[in-house]
Amino acid sequence: MNLFEKMKNIDRRYIYLVVALCIIIPLLIPFNSRTYVTDPTANLYKKIDSFAGKEDKAVLLSFSHDASTMAELFPMEVSILRHCFERNIKVFTICFSPPAAPLMAYALNVAKEDYPNLKSGVNYCNFGYKPAGLFLPIVLGMGDDVAEAVQTDADGRKIKNLEILKGIRNYDDLNLIIDFAASAAVFSWITYARVRFGANVAAGVTAVMAADNYPYLQSGQLVGMLSGLKGAAEYEKLVDVFAAYEDTEYPNGREFSPEVVKDTWVPIMSKKISYDSQGSVVQTNVDLPYKFKQARIGMNAQSIAHIMIIVFIILGNIGYFLTKKKTAEVS
Amino acid sequence: MLEFISNLVAVLLTLFIFSFLYKDNPFYRFAEHLLVGVSMGYAIPLVYINAFIPFVYRPIFLEGNFWLIIPSCIGILYIFRFTRNLSWLSRYPIAFGMGIVGMGVPMSMHSSVLVQMRNAMLPIDNINTLLIFIGTVSILLYFYFSKPHKGLYGKFTNIGIWFMMVGFGASFGYTVMARISLLIGRVQFILGDFLGLIK
Amino acid sequence: MKRQIPLIIVIGLGFLFVAHTFIPSKTSVDFYDWWVSWSKAISPFAVVLGILSLFMVHGTKIQRKAPNWQYSVVTLLALVVTAFSGFAWGTNEGTPFLWLFANVQMPMSATMFSLLAFYIASAAYKAFRAKSPQATVLLLAAFIVMMGQVPIGAAISKWIPETAQWILNVPNLAAKRGIATGVGLGMTATSLKILLGIERTYLGSD
Repeated sequence: MNLFEKMKNIDRRYIYLVVALCIIIPLLIPFNSRTYVTDPTANLYKKIDSFAGKEDKAVLLSFSHDASTMAELFPMEVSILRHCFERNIKVFTICFSPPAAPLMAYALNVAKEDYPNLKSGVNYCNFGYKPAGLFLPIVLGMGDDVAEAVQTDADGRKIKNLEILKGIRNYDDLNLIIDFAASAAVFSWITYARVRFGANVAAGVTAVMAADNYPYLQSGQLVGMLSGLKGAAEYEKLVDVFAAYEDTEYPNGREFSPEVVKDTWVPIMSKKISYDSQGSVVQTNVDLPYKFKQARIGMNAQSIAHIMIIVFIILGNIGYFLTKKKTAEVS
Repeated sequence: MLEFISNLVAVLLTLFIFSFLYKDNPFYRFAEHLLVGVSMGYAIPLVYINAFIPFVYRPIFLEGNFWLIIPSCIGILYIFRFTRNLSWLSRYPIAFGMGIVGMGVPMSMHSSVLVQMRNAMLPIDNINTLLIFIGTVSILLYFYFSKPHKGLYGKFTNIGIWFMMVGFGASFGYTVMARISLLIGRVQFILGDFLGLIK
Repeated sequence: MKRQIPLIIVIGLGFLFVAHTFIPSKTSVDFYDWWVSWSKAISPFAVVLGILSLFMVHGTKIQRKAPNWQYSVVTLLALVVTAFSGFAWGTNEGTPFLWLFANVQMPMSATMFSLLAFYIASAAYKAFRAKSPQATVLLLAAFIVMMGQVPIGAAISKWIPETAQWILNVPNLAAKRGIATGVGLGMTATSLKILLGIERTYLGSD
């Protein structure tokens, strides 16, 4: 038995061990890496940012996933909430499945910890869990009157009495819906909220779903999309570079600029310092808590893991073709 | 202290599940069965509080809307699903919900077909829009089985296969990323949240 | 009659919904409101199906002392304890109910799916073969997309993420549009078949 035949029949548990090491080591030995921002992420960022400080514009986050895909979706939820909180954008959250309810509350709690002045019912509002049977009545009802369709929030308060509802009546104001899912749940929003009322819809999806959504990005049915952990890492970077940016020239964040995205990167392992492409030091407010760089730290391990998978495929194929050649020679 | 115990429980259960990678064992089976039970048990109070109380109990018993007794009785018919002779009764609540399909036909036709068709017919002004047009049309024709895939027509539909292979490759690449991300999440939990080794 | 009446209900309601979609009027809105209030009242009972099914499967195992019946006790006990904790102490933050969710359900559910990372790596080594030109193209596209997503790809060359984006935006888009249009037509056809009473499998067998 030659080396390749031995390798072909290797116990799968050795492969599992390599996988575990390829994930654990890069997480334990952190390093800085650059995040390439794609258009679907940048477009979503720009759309949300266009609501900054507006009384009559709001974002609705719909949580359509359970804990199984939290690793991919949770960092993007926290990043988007952070963006809204940094830029004074009204944000609502809702879910239609029981397991999503605590995840939604958890994301809100984690994101708002750093913003002690935010108030529920004023800056943000958690509509809470609504039974799946109410999906259509609420989605269609919000086209006419959000307060009438949703009725109460997670704390049981009548939402029409809440300050945050001032200026928010229907999809003209609740102008962007972002659905976080490991499924095609966002299409229900496209089918009912967009077709009927022209609402803007975006998606935060697990990477498995991402490639399928490109036709909907091109057609404008999705205004933007975050794809898996990479999408979350991109959004984390955008919030650092723009919404949460602070220096003497920009004390309260700065506007999106494609040139700045390309040139600036945030070294996640250092504190309070960022470097641009020329290597000159730029002061930022980057004293990042772990929760705001979780996806980017994860992407370090993702780099190594992708190389590992590619090496596995190449090795497997070399073994396959050599064995095939040998078999052909023998016969 | 409570946080430590909570994390310890979560970590132990995480390791129980991971133990399946070595081989099937009682710890994994325990965790697997526990997960099924907790997941189902979790839904019951939430549905009771968020659906039964506001849509059945309160309107009927507190607000006197006695008409709603009829749909409640229809809902109870679900229970007969598991009986041998009366399982047909469970078709009534299913049928009532299924009626909404009438609204879905025109709306999903619009969102999944018409808008996509319209965007497939945009002016061809560069190589990319040309490629998208050729790819879309060749794939649609590839799935059209009423005409044999022979000659020039067959060659054209064959182009569709190549486009699909690239599409499947993209999906595969993304799928690898997704699966790895889920594992990264768990490792981050054990190393970061529990052991505090990731800063 | 056991099938016909439910079918008539589906077809009748279905056409009323078609009318509701196209004809905005007070009657149409009233019909919709009526359907919503009845649907809401029916919806909570669907959860009974899941509970009954679980109790029947695991109850039978315990009753018959089937192999590994002890695990069925774990499932049923977990169900009862979790549900009871929700009824007894509520479902808000800080309750035993949410503790069970956060420290039992959440980590296990997440871990269960993370096992797929190991399986996909094993499959990458043992099964993904470039046996034909098409399979080679698939693997090459996958390599580029994989490398294009991670920071190390961008560090090697900016062309890697840009090529990955081009693959996603052009050939992938064309492929997914072709498939999605076919699926969309198929879904619409299936919905129409339900509406016209041709597709009846959702009602179960006799």
